[in-house]
Amino acid sequence: MPISIMPKTDMPPGALTLLILRVLHSGSLHGYAIAQRIHVLSSEVLAVEEGSLYPSLQKMLLKGWVTADWGISETNRKVRFYRLTPAGRKQLQAEISSYDRVTEAIQTILRTA
Amino acid sequence: MGELFRRLRYLLQRRRLDRELENEMEFHREMAAREGRRNFGNTLRLREQSREAWGWTWIDRLLQDLRYAARMLWRSPGFAITAMVVLALGIGVSVTAFSLLNMLALKLLPVRDPASIVRLQRRSPENITSETPYTSFLFYRDHVKTLSAMFATLGAPAMEMDDDLKPVSINYVTANYFSELGGEAVTGRLFNVTQDASANAPPAVVLGYDLWQQRFDGDPHIVGKVIRLNKKPVTVVGVTDKNFVSVGGQYSDVWLPLIQQPYFVQGSTALNDAAGGAGVRMWGRLAPGVTAKMAEQELLTLTNELRKQSPKLVWDKEYIRSDPGGHLQVMQPEMYRAFAMIAALVLLIFIVACTNLGGLMMARGVTREHEIGIRLAIGASRKRIFRQLFTESVLLALLGSFAGLALSYTGLRIMCAVFPTPAWMSFAPDWRVMLFTVGMAFLAAVFFGLAPSLQIARQRQRKTMARQVLVAVQIAASCILLIISGLLVHAVHHMLYSEPGFGYEQVIGISPGLDSHGYKPEAATAYIQTLKARLLGTPGVASVALSKISLLGNGFSAYMTVDMNGRAVNVYPNWIDPEFFKTMEIPLLRGRNLFPGETHAVVVSESLARRQWPGQEALGKKFGDVKDLVVGVAGDARIKSLNDGDATEVYWATQATDMPSMTLLVKTAGAPDGLVPQAKSIVESLDPKLFPYIWLLKSGFRDYTKILENTALGASVLGLLAVLMAAVGIIGLVAYAVSQRTKEIAIRIALGAKPLHVLSVVLRQFLVPVLCGALAGAAVTAAVSQFLRKILYGISNLDPIGYAGGIGVLIAIATVAALLPARRALHVDPVRALHEE
Repeated sequence: MPISIMPKTDMPPGALTLLILRVLHSGSLHGYAIAQRIHVLSSEVLAVEEGSLYPSLQKMLLKGWVTADWGISETNRKVRFYRLTPAGRKQLQAEISSYDRVTEAIQTILRTA
Repeated sequence: MGELFRRLRYLLQRRRLDRELENEMEFHREMAAREGRRNFGNTLRLREQSREAWGWTWIDRLLQDLRYAARMLWRSPGFAITAMVVLALGIGVSVTAFSLLNMLALKLLPVRDPASIVRLQRRSPENITSETPYTSFLFYRDHVKTLSAMFATLGAPAMEMDDDLKPVSINYVTANYFSELGGEAVTGRLFNVTQDASANAPPAVVLGYDLWQQRFDGDPHIVGKVIRLNKKPVTVVGVTDKNFVSVGGQYSDVWLPLIQQPYFVQGSTALNDAAGGAGVRMWGRLAPGVTAKMAEQELLTLTNELRKQSPKLVWDKEYIRSDPGGHLQVMQPEMYRAFAMIAALVLLIFIVACTNLGGLMMARGVTREHEIGIRLAIGASRKRIFRQLFTESVLLALLGSFAGLALSYTGLRIMCAVFPTPAWMSFAPDWRVMLFTVGMAFLAAVFFGLAPSLQIARQRQRKTMARQVLVAVQIAASCILLIISGLLVHAVHHMLYSEPGFGYEQVIGISPGLDSHGYKPEAATAYIQTLKARLLGTPGVASVALSKISLLGNGFSAYMTVDMNGRAVNVYPNWIDPEFFKTMEIPLLRGRNLFPGETHAVVVSESLARRQWPGQEALGKKFGDVKDLVVGVAGDARIKSLNDGDATEVYWATQATDMPSMTLLVKTAGAPDGLVPQAKSIVESLDPKLFPYIWLLKSGFRDYTKILENTALGASVLGLLAVLMAAVGIIGLVAYAVSQRTKEIAIRIALGAKPLHVLSVVLRQFLVPVLCGALAGAAVTAAVSQFLRKILYGISNLDPIGYAGGIGVLIAIATVAALLPARRALHVDPVRALHEE
């Protein structure tokens, strides 16, 4: 049973942004491909729904972490491809390190408590 | 910064970007479907959620709400028009008051650099005057550093021009007056420092544009012509431009150089007799970078220096106050009280309009129950519905507000056409008036729309409580206005139809103006004696009396406030001769008249005697600081403060030193009008350099009552406007109550209820709020009546007739307004009404 990433789930807040930033790190993708990539890379555990993917992408556009350019999809359709900006790269680094710190802290508690 | 920029760019390309998002999400679903996954959810809602990230959705909602509100108003034109009329009246009155304030005190005059002009006034803790001795003005002008220039004006009585019957108004100004104000000549030149600053310069006059047009038909060759002012030849040097604006609201037909004043008023010592002479009005222009405070500081230092030089000229603790002078009316702290009063009155009208509309909105909420129920059922949030309803109120308020602005502008234009107004004066709304109008619209929307919108959104519009409060507030506000107008109307009535305590119909006043021509007491006494004898020898003259204070004509009014048994009482003094009481028909109630020139004796008015020595005989008592013996008690004659019921009078015998400033009162056997030219020629024949001021006391009395009548009329119009609006509101609410309770009424009628009982069912809910409102209004008026008396002279403290009149009119109109629609309840046909359900 895949865990769907919906606006109101137990996923830590900001996790979706982190995942999107991470999959875009290796190259530009269109919306559906982002969802697919997360799905596949998580061994089909995580499913990103439209209702959370597009609001997140809009917010990232607003923040200037990604930009959108026109491209042609595999199905030969004109779609928008999202690409990481330098600001986005910096944000990714920051989010990864803060994510590491948080999980480490949680792990420590789980081990010692 | 980049974020804001991206946000704005999104706003500009919103439609395209939204379409792209739609495409994108459609593509997403297609791909998902291809892989056998189904996506549920409202696509529109999903897209809206995505768009929210940009923070612009409120604009869409606002536009949506506005469109919807416009459609709703369009669909119920009756309601929309009623609401707009009510608002236009309620807000229009406020906008008019604000426009006038704006014109008087906020707008800068179209003169050169108006913001740096200051009006300078002498003040001390005890004294205030706008007039400064000319020598002091010269001292300040020659020493001041913080002011780049100083100029002065001196007002004077109107002058006779050539042989015209109509006198021309005049003003003496310093030679730099026109250049400081940036005035231009339409022909010839205006005064300037090189040609007009010397007393020896040839006499020059500048004509006002209007006088030039009307009296000289705009004669292009007027410059160089010699005219006679008070028989003194003077050369016309130029004419002011049509748009010339003077400061301090001083308009005059002709302008004369201040330095030449002694030429026009022969023997005048106004310019050199520093202590006793008249004073000039001082103005200054702040030097660049100087604040008014800095200038006041320097002037204070100069005042102290001046005191050392001539101690007689300067009061204790005197200082010079500066006020922004570039406005039509230089505002004094004292004037704000009157403005606050007017503001309070127009706000009452505004409150009546808003509460009225609030009631209508509530009633309308019931008819919209169905619509709002459906919208709630299909998922609209209460917040969203409230926002939509409130948007509707704001739209309505804005429409009403601008209708009010149009109404007010029309009214002011009509006023401009009726009363003579200078050409430059325009009431076209400027940004301040616009801002005020929009501000009032939002305030109105909050007042009339907020509570009903909340109630409706919470589906509580059927509660009667809120409606009753609204009715009570309307009634209370109208009640205050009606009582005030009742008080004023009664005061006018009292003044017009009761005995004033003195006779004025057959009396003329003559002020020969001896002091302005430098008469000394001996010469003045001789002149007055001769004049008196000549007047008494004129056929038709019954008696001639002397009075130092000019009565019911031009001239200042002096009074002292004396503490009498713990109450501050205004005492109006006068210096008279023995003929005075007979001439003015003031009865001498007890004791005797004053002897000619008697000292240490005084006659007091009955009211003063009662106040000072309650329950005792005033005769033989001592009055005042110098302990004058009270020899007589005269009837009350409040000539100098006609409508101040608390005023008292005290009379002393004239002394020789009073003679230069004496006025004469001449009582005729018949109508006094014909005596005026005769008296003028007698005064002038005795000394040709005099230009007497002669007036009919009855026209002074009429002018006085006219002011009071106009105030009463204005207050009555406001009061009636308020009560009519309240009546419309009550009619609407009662009609609504009847329709809401048709079924109940039908059952009662079917069970045999009497008509009176049926009426009481409908009207009971309004009885309490109307009574509460009326009581609250009366209580508020009574509470502020002390304050009211200070501003609306003439109303008395607790005048039962005024109160009863105001409340009576209110109750009568409210009753009619309630009964008109309530009658419908009696005609309810039980069979049909019960069938309908």
